[in-house]
Amino acid sequence: MSPPATMPLFRHRFRAMASEHELLLCADNDASAHRAAAAAIADVARIEAKFSRYRDDSVTTAINRAAGGSPVAIDAETAALLRYADECHRLSGGLFDITSGVLRRVWDFRRTPPQVPDAAARAASIALIGWDGVEWSERTVRLPRAGMEIDFGGIGKEYAADRVATVLAGHGIAHALVNLGGDVRALGPRPDGTPWRVGIRHPRRPGEAITGVDLDSGAVATSGDYERFFEVDGRRYCHVLDPRTGMPVTYWQSVSVVAPLAVAAGSCATIALLCEAAGAAFLDAQRVSWIGVDARGVLQGPGAHITTKSGPSPSAAQPFATITSRTLRSVV
Amino acid sequence: MPSSLPAVATSAGAPAGAFLAAALALPGIVPGLWSPAAHAQTAPDAAQIALKYLDYRDWQPGADRIRVRSPSLYVLKPLGDAFAVEGTLVYDGISGASPRFHDALSGASGIGVSDHRTAGDAKLTWYGERVAVGISAAVSSERDYLGRALAVDVRVSTPDNNRTWAFGIAGNSDRIDSVNGVAENQARRSVDVLLGVTQVLSADAIVQSNLTYSAGHGYYSDPYKLLDTRPDHRRVFAWLTRGNRYLPAFDATLRVSYRLLTDSFGSVSHALDAAWVQSLPEGWSVTPSLRYYTQSAADFYFDPPFPRGFVPGGNYTADTRLAAFGALTPGIGVTKRFADGWSADVKLEYYRQKSAWRLGGSGSPGLEPFSARWLQFGLAKTF
Repeated sequence: MSPPATMPLFRHRFRAMASEHELLLCADNDASAHRAAAAAIADVARIEAKFSRYRDDSVTTAINRAAGGSPVAIDAETAALLRYADECHRLSGGLFDITSGVLRRVWDFRRTPPQVPDAAARAASIALIGWDGVEWSERTVRLPRAGMEIDFGGIGKEYAADRVATVLAGHGIAHALVNLGGDVRALGPRPDGTPWRVGIRHPRRPGEAITGVDLDSGAVATSGDYERFFEVDGRRYCHVLDPRTGMPVTYWQSVSVVAPLAVAAGSCATIALLCEAAGAAFLDAQRVSWIGVDARGVLQGPGAHITTKSGPSPSAAQPFATITSRTLRSVV
Repeated sequence: MPSSLPAVATSAGAPAGAFLAAALALPGIVPGLWSPAAHAQTAPDAAQIALKYLDYRDWQPGADRIRVRSPSLYVLKPLGDAFAVEGTLVYDGISGASPRFHDALSGASGIGVSDHRTAGDAKLTWYGERVAVGISAAVSSERDYLGRALAVDVRVSTPDNNRTWAFGIAGNSDRIDSVNGVAENQARRSVDVLLGVTQVLSADAIVQSNLTYSAGHGYYSDPYKLLDTRPDHRRVFAWLTRGNRYLPAFDATLRVSYRLLTDSFGSVSHALDAAWVQSLPEGWSVTPSLRYYTQSAADFYFDPPFPRGFVPGGNYTADTRLAAFGALTPGIGVTKRFADGWSADVKLEYYRQKSAWRLGGSGSPGLEPFSARWLQFGLAKTF
């Protein structure tokens, strides 16, 4: 067996969940890298097919179609995701709400010219938001009012990233970096033992990193105002919407969170955005490492003090802020 | 933001790590984290095969005693999503001088040892939603001994998967047919019950506590020892508590455990274990460990050469395993994980037993220091 330090890194790019994904993994040879990557990609495809709200035959669509009607039977995985969404809802005081997607009906980010929905339109949508009212158990779920919707958009990709790490580990991969559309999960450090360098996207300059994190393992996920937005009268309206007001968040351009699991990092980043100015206190209370870019473009957070340098994608020469996160190793 | 927002609980009030704790309950994202206990409903999704080779020898001052060479094979295979089958096959080749427990009993304690043992077990586990049920059978065969066991265990996890309850019951049936004719076709049967709980304390910490009770009757004596007559029933109560904690600052896991065991023979023992699992780059890990063990003597143990106030028909033994002593076992293990699901490990343990090391009382006099070492090589592959 060749020494791992000389084991090659294999790169697999693929598209799913309307994003570009990349797997970097270290394996003995092309065949084993391919096997592991194929299994990982298959799981991502499975999760997309099962939970995408754009698919007619998905669990999400079935649940949404039955809104106001009979309960829909769900399996253990769906129940686990609902349970996680329920925890996020509770822990965020209702800010994180998987029923808030109905706001998309009044916020059309592709429309030209863009239009800010008026208070009455927003109120009509807000009336359909409310995880509190959803009747769910481990076996069934029922949206109480016709027109209600759930979506796993705020969880699914991160969940998939964590699953991919597990699948790769199950194939004996000890060093891998999983990047699902910017939600990044590391499985072990780089083959030479050094951490992966993950750039944090500059919220205003696509393709550039504003800073970066070193990741031994664990995950970093970013929520930002730049994915979908429009500007009217010089004001930016982004797709991250407060379920209480139906209005976009404004305090942060982006928040990146480092946590052992991508799904936890992603939820914390999204909730921080929804918390507006209180996001910093929320993240500090969670004791996660984080980097935020506020509305002025200023870096904040425990990971922000070392460098504020913006530049091209991360390179080894760049003096990155180091936030080290370790995976949850087997403690048994 | 406008100040007219409806009042909601401040989200900064969520307890630290709460999101992570919630995320950990999602299926299939943390492999083996809480194994063997929690996540009872998750069937293994990869097959595994492991080959081990154990080389054991023990000795007393000036005398090599027993040497055991023991290869074993372990196979785990998932059957669909809800079942897994696993099994172990062990062959022990035993050779060496007869056990010499005390100088005074030297030569009186049995026959020369050259034997082999073949043992195997198989287990079928069904994984339901938050419940796992396992049925297992085991057989162990030697020239003068046949042991058979059947067991059922049930594990139930709470909805958040942070706590797992375990219940188990096992029946054992042994047959002893000593080559020296002392014990002919003797039987021993026992029933064991187990109640356990595993609790996840945080993303980095887990504790487990198990109570076991065993009640048996039959032939417990050692047919190869002079003056070895033991009660025909034995009840054993054991309490095991162990905790593992991952320490991010060191990238290491500390494992500690304590076991209390008392039995109706009158012996009480304490075992304290600690191990430090240090992760190193490139898939290496090193695990130094230390175990301290101490026990009091059985009620009917006598210090050789001969029991005081001997009463014919009474219970007597001079078996060192029922004497009072203390023992230390330092050990070190090295594991290397390769790509492609291979892993290799080597483990060395050294056992040293002395009567003076007993805690809370004096050890049995006349016990010679006893030493043993285990050297084990393992190779495993996950598919």
